[in-house]
Amino acid sequence: MSFEIKLDKRIATVEILKQFENLLEIKVDEKIYQVDLMHNDEGIFSILANGRSYNIELVPQTKPKHYTAYTLHDSYDLEVIDAEARYLRNRTGTTLLLSENTIVTPMPGKVVKIPFSVGDVVKKGETIITISAMKMESEYKAPMDGIIAFIHVKEGSLVEANQILIVIE
Amino acid sequence: MKKIKKILIANRGEIAIRIMRTCREMGISTVAVFSDADRTSMHVRYADEAYNIGPAASVVSYLKLDKIIEVAVNCQADAIHPGYGFLSENSEFARKCAENGIIFIGPTPEVIDQMGDKIKARLTMIAAGVPVVPGTTESIKTEKEAIDTIREIGLPVMVKASAGGGGKGMRLITNEKDILSLVRSARSEALSSFGNDSVYIEKYISSPHHIEFQILGDQHGNVLHLFERECSVQRRHQKMLEETPSPLMTPELRLKMGAYAVEAARAVNYTGAGTIEFLVDNNLNFYFLEMNTRLQVEHPITERVTGIDLVKQQILVAEGHPLSFTQDQLKQTGHAIECRIYAEDSDNNFMPNPGKIYNITEPLGFGVRTDGYVYEGYEIPIHYDSMISKLIVWAENRTEAIERMKRALYEYKITGVKTSIKFLARIMDTPDFRSGNYDTNFIEKNKDILHAPLKSTEDFEDMLIIATYIEYLDQLNINQTSKVMYPAKNRWKKYTYQKNFERL
Repeated sequence: MSFEIKLDKRIATVEILKQFENLLEIKVDEKIYQVDLMHNDEGIFSILANGRSYNIELVPQTKPKHYTAYTLHDSYDLEVIDAEARYLRNRTGTTLLLSENTIVTPMPGKVVKIPFSVGDVVKKGETIITISAMKMESEYKAPMDGIIAFIHVKEGSLVEANQILIVIE
Repeated sequence: MKKIKKILIANRGEIAIRIMRTCREMGISTVAVFSDADRTSMHVRYADEAYNIGPAASVVSYLKLDKIIEVAVNCQADAIHPGYGFLSENSEFARKCAENGIIFIGPTPEVIDQMGDKIKARLTMIAAGVPVVPGTTESIKTEKEAIDTIREIGLPVMVKASAGGGGKGMRLITNEKDILSLVRSARSEALSSFGNDSVYIEKYISSPHHIEFQILGDQHGNVLHLFERECSVQRRHQKMLEETPSPLMTPELRLKMGAYAVEAARAVNYTGAGTIEFLVDNNLNFYFLEMNTRLQVEHPITERVTGIDLVKQQILVAEGHPLSFTQDQLKQTGHAIECRIYAEDSDNNFMPNPGKIYNITEPLGFGVRTDGYVYEGYEIPIHYDSMISKLIVWAENRTEAIERMKRALYEYKITGVKTSIKFLARIMDTPDFRSGNYDTNFIEKNKDILHAPLKSTEDFEDMLIIATYIEYLDQLNINQTSKVMYPAKNRWKKYTYQKNFERL
């Protein structure tokens, strides 16, 4: 069963070719790996491939099929594009993934200011929401030119991480 | 001499736990206070007793001095330790503790007042013969006076609010034509922030070193210093790592600065632990900057090289004991470095990143200490500071200490929030840091190295993709058990499955 997985801008196709317990032969795009993969319910992965040891921890995000992977000192956002996601993308006739027209909180905090309302025209780079957390205020900019389609929060409300705040069309 | 049997810690997070650890060793029982947002904080779980003091915002909880004193009186605490931040440099709090028969673990309210006002502190230091940054000794009340003074001192200068703090009401003037507008904006910001538009003017020292001396004084007139801490690695005027000894220090300079630091503390009859901060330029000229009348965040590196528990000393001094050692008996052994682990996104202007901790693995091994407070499943509140722990290493010399810190940072795994660990590891690899040739301009100067995009190989990316794929298959497996035997089952899973099955 093959899936597409998005890592930053790259979309890779993955498929398991053979498996014997934790030993897998797995194809990522055109490359075939023999890996020894162990993982547990807490999302901790130990992968041995070509004599190297990879230590990865996966944390599911609140959006389904989205994960944050933690490795040595760094973190990456990954998204699984399965049949359903592909269908939705094809149906809307757009290649936009959720993240590209939506402002999502990277961290929990409190909404300080939203200078626009639904229907307003915004330009890429304009501040459309200010969130405060841990004694600091952060401004979030419009990722593209467009019209504000939805605002899901109010000034003064508390927000969770990865919550959808504003959608631009 | 009054024996302290119970201490209320008027603080939260790592410093509250740090203080309680010493209390436990001394057989002193501990009282935690907490806001609504901190019910599950580790300091509440670690303490012998714990009391709620109000809502999440610190103005109505950790800064509510009457409420905290009321709790201390009701639970019959002998003393209050304020930690750092919050009420630690609030003279009214120290005064009210005394009025209620509670020992405030820190200096007297008079000393807090005297050193808290920047102009008063400058005057005290000048009187004691301690070098200060050239500038005014009185607050400046009119615009004309300000401009005349600036001309007299010569550019560049810093204009600072007398009642200031936290960078508010502070302006750097480097250009003749900006004098008037910057003086005006400093004064108006000072007025709106502190209700007082008086300012003072100091010569600006470009890219200085920030070096501080740890002071200890007792109630019998003994004052000594526990050497320096180099604190020049800063971002947004906030320290990121500290080390001792300072790579800049020479034995002669240490002797001289140490003597002035002791002189400065003696000038105000200082009792307890305190810190004298100096600015040092590249020609080793040094100037008094300010005194912190409390325990510092970075105190563990001093503890590590001197072997002295500073919190224990604070408590003994508060009980009235004379210091049990002299200046000659103190020495620095080896080298210590502290890294501050913040919940923040270093690649995104150090933006705070609160959230829930999924997994945490703290480093262990020879010469490693962590002072932290988060645990698995703990949600870091959005209301307070973003520091989640301090990682302190000790080694025989600086090179070994840097290698040990790199190793410890490598072992440190925190998932669920972004942290400064990656950034700190890069500092350890930066040539200017390794050579010890750095000042407060370090992060700005080395930003290309520190923020360079991570070079991840394609194999490495593929492993991330494989892990995500397997995890997702696994999820499907849980939801659709009747379908095909998905290949992602592994032995750990199978084992749990079997165990559950056997239970039936």
